[in-house]
Formats: sequence, C-alpha cells, structure tokens
Amino acid sequence: MSRPGSAAFDSLMAEVRPLAASACEKTPWEVRAFLPGADDRQEIAAALLDRGCRFASVFAEDRRAQERAYYLYDVVEHRDDHRYLVIRYRVAPEQPRFPSISLQAPAANWMERETQDWFGIEAEGHPNPRRVALHDHWPGVHPLLKDFPIDAVLPPLEGDPHIFRQTIGEGVFYVPVGPVHAGIIEPGHFHFAVAGEPVIYLQLRLFYTHKGVEKRFENLPLTHGVFLAESVSGDTSFGHGLAHCLALEHAAGIEAPPHARIGRVILLELERIYNHAADIGAIATDVGFVIANSHATRLREQMLRLNEELTGSRLLRGLLRPGGLRRPLDAARLAPFLEKLESFEREYRSLVRLIEDSDSTRDRLETTGTLPPAKAKDLGIVGVAGRASGQDLDVRRDHPFDGYQGLQPRVPVFSQGDVLHRMRVRSEEVLESLSLIRAAAAELPEGPSLSPLPEIAPGATALSAVEGWRGEILHWIRNGGNGRLDRCRIKDPSLNNWPAIVEAIQGNIIPDFPVINKSFNLSYSGTDR
Amino acid sequence: MTATVLHAVLQGLLLLLLSPLLSGLIRTAKARLQTRRGPSPLQPYRDLGKLLRKGMVIPETASPVFAAAPFVVFSTTLLAGLLAPTVFAAAPLSQFGGVLALVYLLGLGRFFLALAALDTGSAFGGMGSSREMTIAALAEPALMLAVFTVALTAGSTDPSRMAQAAIGQSWRFLAPSQMLAFTALFVVLLAETGRIPVDNPATHLELTMIHEAMILEYSGPWLALIEWSASIKQMVLLTLLANLFIPFTLASAPGVPAILSAAALYLLKLLLLAAAVVLVETTNAKMRLFRVPELLSVAFVLGALALISTFLFGGR
Repeated sequence: MSRPGSAAFDSLMAEVRPLAASACEKTPWEVRAFLPGADDRQEIAAALLDRGCRFASVFAEDRRAQERAYYLYDVVEHRDDHRYLVIRYRVAPEQPRFPSISLQAPAANWMERETQDWFGIEAEGHPNPRRVALHDHWPGVHPLLKDFPIDAVLPPLEGDPHIFRQTIGEGVFYVPVGPVHAGIIEPGHFHFAVAGEPVIYLQLRLFYTHKGVEKRFENLPLTHGVFLAESVSGDTSFGHGLAHCLALEHAAGIEAPPHARIGRVILLELERIYNHAADIGAIATDVGFVIANSHATRLREQMLRLNEELTGSRLLRGLLRPGGLRRPLDAARLAPFLEKLESFEREYRSLVRLIEDSDSTRDRLETTGTLPPAKAKDLGIVGVAGRASGQDLDVRRDHPFDGYQGLQPRVPVFSQGDVLHRMRVRSEEVLESLSLIRAAAAELPEGPSLSPLPEIAPGATALSAVEGWRGEILHWIRNGGNGRLDRCRIKDPSLNNWPAIVEAIQGNIIPDFPVINKSFNLSYSGTDR
Repeated sequence: MTATVLHAVLQGLLLLLLSPLLSGLIRTAKARLQTRRGPSPLQPYRDLGKLLRKGMVIPETASPVFAAAPFVVFSTTLLAGLLAPTVFAAAPLSQFGGVLALVYLLGLGRFFLALAALDTGSAFGGMGSSREMTIAALAEPALMLAVFTVALTAGSTDPSRMAQAAIGQSWRFLAPSQMLAFTALFVVLLAETGRIPVDNPATHLELTMIHEAMILEYSGPWLALIEWSASIKQMVLLTLLANLFIPFTLASAPGVPAILSAAALYLLKLLLLAAAVVLVETTNAKMRLFRVPELLSVAFVLGALALISTFLFGGR
C-alpha cells in the first residue's frame, strides 16, 4: 500500500517551529500533527501559506467525555504531497476559544464560523464572527456538542432570521431574492444591494436545508454510513459515498480489490459526465439559448439510462460498500455500454460546438462573473470554479485514490475565471472523463469486488479525499468503537466555493446573476448538511 | 354607419379570438424547433379560461392603480388594434386617429402597467418597470421613424391611407427605404413584445425579467386581461408590420371572394412574420441587458436611414 510521489510535508514539518516540536504520525494518506494548544495556530498558518499550502477544511470535535478536550482540526493540502496534513489543536473546555486564521486564510472564514455555531467555541479575532450555519434567530444552542441530544426539540424560533449589513448611498436599494425560488432549486437567500442594475454588494444566507447530517452520523453503524453519505448531496451521491468508503478503508488500513478500484473510477467519471452535461445546458438556458439546453438535457438523460444499464441505478446509488463495490461490474454489459459511449461523445461534441459557435451566447458568457485567480487562491476555491480561475487543483492527479493511481488525468486550467471558462472547464472535463472511462474499462480486471472490512481500532481517525464533479470532497471520520461512528466531518466543495459568488458578482449587473450562479452550480444541501 | 360598427365589432372579435392562437402557435413552433413536443397551440385559450375562473391575491400595499391597470391596458390595446387595417385597407376606427394614436394608445397601456408594477412596492416590479421604460424610451423613436418613412411616401399618417396609397404598387416594399424601415420595425416588434434577444418570455428567473417582472403580482382574471392584452399587442404590431409594408393583399373592393382571399393572405402574412420571430428566438441567446440599447440604437439608425433615403430617392 505504498504510494509514490514527493513528500513536501516531511521537510515542511521540520521547517515550521511549532509543528517540528509537536507529536506527529504518518499514514499513506495523512500526516497528523498533534498540538497541545492552539496558541501557535496563526504562526503555523502563516508559515504554511508562505510555503504554498491551502486550507482545505477546518472543523472541530467534542472529546470532553473521553479526553476532557475539544479538538480543532486544520486540514492542509499541498500539491507536492500526495498526503493531506491534518493538524489537531487541543482546546481546553475551560477556555473554549482558539485564534482565528480567517484574516490570513480567508478560506477558513465560513468553516471557523460554522465551528463557533455548532460547538460554541469562539474564533478569537475573527473579522466577521457573525453566525453562518445557524440563523440569527436560533437560541444559543450548539447542536454538535455530545450533550445536545439528537432528538432535542427547540421552542419555535422568533425574531429576524437574518441580520444584514447595511449598504448606504444615494439610489441604493435592496433586492431580496429567496429563500424560495422559482423553478426546482433548493432554498437560499440572496440579499442584493444595487444601484440601478449594477450590484454593489451581495450577502448570502444559506443553511436552510441544514439537516444535522454530521450529527446523524454519530452512533451510526460503520457500514450504514455510506447510505447517509450518498444523500448528502443528491447529485454527488457516488462522490460522497466513495469518500465515505475510502475514509473507512483508510481507517481499517485496507484497499478495495483491484476490480472495485478500477470500477469506482468508471462510476465516478459517469457521475461527472451527467452533471457536467446538465450544467452546460443550464448555463445556456440562463442566457436564453434554450435549444442548447434541449440537447444537453437529452444527453444527460442518455447518460442516466447508460448508468442504469450498466449498474441498475440511474443516479449511481447503492453501488458502494466500505471495502469495494457491492457487486462487480458486469463484463457482458460493459462492451455495449462502451459502444453507446461513442455515440454519446459524438453528440456531446456537437452540443459544445453549437454553444461555442453561437456568438450571442458567447457574448453573454465572456467576461461575465469574473473571479480573478488571486481571489480564488485566497478564498481556497476548488474544483471546476477553481480551475477556471487558475487554481490548478485536482485530487485525482495530486492525491490519487483508487484506480486513479495508475491513470494520469489531464486537468484543464484557465486563468480568465469568467462564466465562459467555467463552462469550458466542464466541456473539456467531460471529454477527459470519457477517455478515463475507456482506459479504466480496458484494464478492468476480473475478480472479487469486495474485501471484508476488518475491525477498526476504537478511536481511530481517517481522512479521505475524492474529486467529485464539483471539486474536492473530504470525509473525516472517527470510529467510536462498538462498530459505530463517533464523528463524521463532511466537506463538500460547495462549502469552499460559495463565498466566490459574492466576489464574482462584483461589477456585474443583477440580471446576469442567475447565469453566474449557475456557472458555479453549488450544492445547497451539501453545504448545509 | 352600420357598416363601420359591424367592421369594428368584427375586427375586435378577430383580434380577441385570434391573438391567443398566434401566441400559442409561436410557442408550439419554438418547442418543435427545440426538439420538444410543447403544448398545443390552443393552450393560451385554456390558460385564459383557467385564469378567468380563478380567485385573485391582491397585495395589501396595492392602490386603485393596481386595480385599474389591467382594464386600461386591455382597452387601450384593443382600441389600438381597431386603428390598424387588418383584412380591409380601411381600419374600422380610422376617422378617430392615425398611426400616432395607435402608438400612443399602446404607450398609455405600458405606462399604466409600469405604474401598477411600482404600486405594489415589490423589488421585482420596480426592476421590471425601470427596464421596460428604458427600453420603451429607445424603441419608440425607432418605431416612429419607421412609421414616418411609410407615412411620408403616402402623404398621411392614417394607416388606412398609408396602406391604400401603396396597393397598386406591388413591388414598393423592395425600395431601400421600405426595407430599412421594415427591419427597424421588426427589431422594435421584438423589443415591444418581450421576445429574445430583448426579453425572455419563457424564463422563470425573476432577476432577468422585464415584462414578466412587472406582472408578477397579478393573478386570476386581472392576469388574464394582461396576458390577453400582450397577445393582442403582439398581433397588432405584427399586423402593422405586415400591412404597412406589404399592403397589396388587402381587400379594397367589396365581395365575398375578395374578402376571403384577403383574409387568408392576411393570416398567411402574420404566420410568416411569426415564423421569423420564432427563428430569431431559437437561434439567439438573450442579450445582456446593457446591450439592448445598442440593438435599439441600430433600429433607430435604420429608421433614420430609411427616412433619409425616402427624401433622397422619393421612397420608390
């Protein structure tokens, strides 16, 4: 189970003083550093950012019962190391606070506030410490604390759900949009301050679909978590399911058998294809080029039917199990499937040509909703949106998992950062996904699809990373013993990327907001959890 | 006198009964071009019937303007329709006003709709009103220049006279001034009827709407009146386009066969123009809102060129 690749974190750990002094643990997937307190957090963050690291996730854990402490975790990524660096800070329950790093690493902004809301641990020195995950009219409860019962019933909420910042100026007025929108999309509240048509300031309020998923994972039997993971975000059921299985496999120290490892590549790329095709059509719809959407919808449906023919599930659900795939992929179905993929590719290419050749469409998309690379880097933007804004990140290439260890995915990266290039990242990724599927199918070995999951040590933790179609998905688990989970932290790429919309709308007019939003197409459910 | 009344009643009925079908046909044709089956062309009738039978939700903040607007819009639009020649060269109410009256009756309707949208105090209504007024202010001069081009040749602003003056000259519509004016008026038609590339009649995105944003607060019978007026207005503008520039199919002599063939040719012209609208809507994306003034400036310049070339070449 050795993984090739350079090891940037080994030298980096030695260079950064507080990390060098800390206890350290290394696995093929993670470098773990344990710090006795959070006082050095800002110094560490500054040093890591200097050396090109990215803060991928920040979260907390309530271990008061077992170890009389809260733990705060920073998950750090570096392109030159296949592993992730997981820094654990002890936060004393008597002084529930930690120094904020949001000024240095704006990527941590929402996740630190989320930690405040859910655990009641204060992020000291946070530039904007208002609530994000719980709305402003919630009583002072902290649902992810272990002593908050999952079936607690709160009194009816009263008062204003949101307190907005004021935008003052001559001719400035507010346009509140949502949380309920026209069409079948999820709820989110957008509060625009506009002067005429140009948008001056946008404030987002999400977490309307907060379902307490992370709370729900607690005490779930280890093998059942995958079902819940599949429904974290409906359009990423395979991506989240896979991330969850990988986390358990890493904790158990096993790998899925070769057939499953290659098969998972095929399935993950199928999910990417059907979602990207739908998104390309949706972007065209939002600028009124409906004919392209008709074709895109047709192609998406074609893909969903192919999914069903190959696996029995249109949305690729119920296929995963910790330790591999529930059933092997049927070799007899694979050949006709690949043939149909050929005709899909032909039609897909003509769809892309239809959009690229439409001057009126390109005129709408070019220079609209630009997210400059510098801002994308600061905000830690990942996935499709990141790659359109110069962030050359892809978990499949930088931190390969499963079958990707043998494949070298080509990653399209642009620096323009506008709607057009977010669409182009998608249109090129679909073609790459098709060739990955072919390559994977060619080397798909016979054999079992499932390894038994051995006993996992009580208290063991593990992190996994998957490049879902939106971007980097992280699952971090702790085994509670007695075959049940103690904590599962889920980071959907949408959580990183929502703040990007606020930046991308700057300098644009309000009627262009829908297409800008659609070009990111972030998950509400995955963010709200 | 009886003939005029009969004519007015018949033309009123024609507009009322046929305009939803025209909207429906455009919708169906668009769906077919988008590889969808789409609703039946009769769907607008069902929608109107459904809305007329429904109850209404009226915003608490609404004043009487909100209640008056649907009726003002409906009656001005219908009245404007009676000032345009459809099957006959003479319009039923031509003695009451010319093409200027027609344009400003439509303008009055639009004014009230914009007022009603502001009246409710909703953010979307305000956005719709401001966008509609911006576009109207630019579309109107282009429309007037195009109309004056024809009026100048005919020596009258009465659409009936304008049509009659041209009946003998079948090929007049190929004159450069006429072609320019026709194009200008076609662009204005797209803007005034809320079509792509100016507005998207099929969108659900409130932030991008123009016409739809203004009527978001309406429901039930009042919404039906407004939707119906929109269909009538579209038919009136298409009629103007068809009959001012290609008038030689109009019936000038009495007699059943002449009237029937004129009616058939009138419908054919409307269908052809509607087909052109469908093609434009299917092959184009909606323009960025701030590009719309550029499009309308093009229409204005075309109109101005049409007028100049009328003076230079005498419009022949």
